[in-house]
Amino acid sequence: MSAEVDLKALWNKEEAKDMPDTKELLKKADRVRKLTRIKLITQTLILLATVAVLLTVGFRIDHEQVTTVIGLVLMIIAIVSYLAVANQLLPMLFKSDIGGSSQDYLNQLIRIKRKNEFINKVMINIYFGLLSLGVFLYSLQFVKRMSTGWEVFYYVMVFGWMGFSWFWSRPRGVKKKQKPLNDIIERLEAVNKQLGDSD
Amino acid sequence: MVFDEIYKTYWNKVFRICMGYVNDHDWAKDIAQETFVTIWQQLPKFRGEAAIGTWIFRIASNNCLRQIERQNRMPRSDMPEQIAEHIEHDREPQVQFLYKCIAELPETDRLIISLELEDVKQAEIAKIVGLSETNIRVKVYRIKERLAKKFENYER
Repeated sequence: MSAEVDLKALWNKEEAKDMPDTKELLKKADRVRKLTRIKLITQTLILLATVAVLLTVGFRIDHEQVTTVIGLVLMIIAIVSYLAVANQLLPMLFKSDIGGSSQDYLNQLIRIKRKNEFINKVMINIYFGLLSLGVFLYSLQFVKRMSTGWEVFYYVMVFGWMGFSWFWSRPRGVKKKQKPLNDIIERLEAVNKQLGDSD
Repeated sequence: MVFDEIYKTYWNKVFRICMGYVNDHDWAKDIAQETFVTIWQQLPKFRGEAAIGTWIFRIASNNCLRQIERQNRMPRSDMPEQIAEHIEHDREPQVQFLYKCIAELPETDRLIISLELEDVKQAEIAKIVGLSETNIRVKVYRIKERLAKKFENYER
């Protein structure tokens, strides 16, 4: 008996004895679909609620200066865009075709992960930038009413917080998100390289 | 081909391919189920650009490759020996050895040899994996050689 026949015979001896019932499988498929839909709806609702709260709170205050409104709008844009990206509310950016060849699929996965990596990095910068600027502009109107001592104290605090966020929290946030992504990209690339090795 | 028919015809084939990839019964079953869920979802969109088998095996292979994204799953080899033995008590040692050897190969080689052992034509394997037929032929030859060597040592 040749090695090939042996291998094939051995290979075919493996069976999943407990093949799930078609109904059970389709129920599972349905559950997955429903869960995805519920997740998407919940995320959208949370986003809308956040915007509603910010708008209600923000616009109840007297706006003597245009900077207050600009600041508020910037803060809303920062939070909404961050949440939208963090929850992957842009599915068209992350779509993949699982019916393609393995090589195409691996390349798609790598492209998606790279896009993810880039968006994370850019988004976290945009988020911190907009939020800091927004808070600063928003508070100008209120700071004007303070005494000089409090004004100085306020600016020290605000710039201190911005510096801390930018130089401490931001790099850590970026790193924390990038690490698992980079690991996956690295492994996907290693597998993709196996296909490139035309030995 | 209706879904029921596809499911019955391909369940064991897809399961074995997943098993060759991960060598873990439960995990392989999960991947096989995910594969059929995808097939069920995408079947209405299937236009017959490729043979149905090629399409099914592509989805199965890609689902296996997607496991790269899931880091937290404990690999079979990391399980305490007692548990591993308990699960495998009703499998023939040679069958276990074959699947173990295959699961130790580089990821794409696992898929290629699994498809070959599943009697998929090399031209089809080339379409599934995305390599040329010549390349597949060479790879299959080398993998078989490697497996044969391992079996030689195993039987000694």
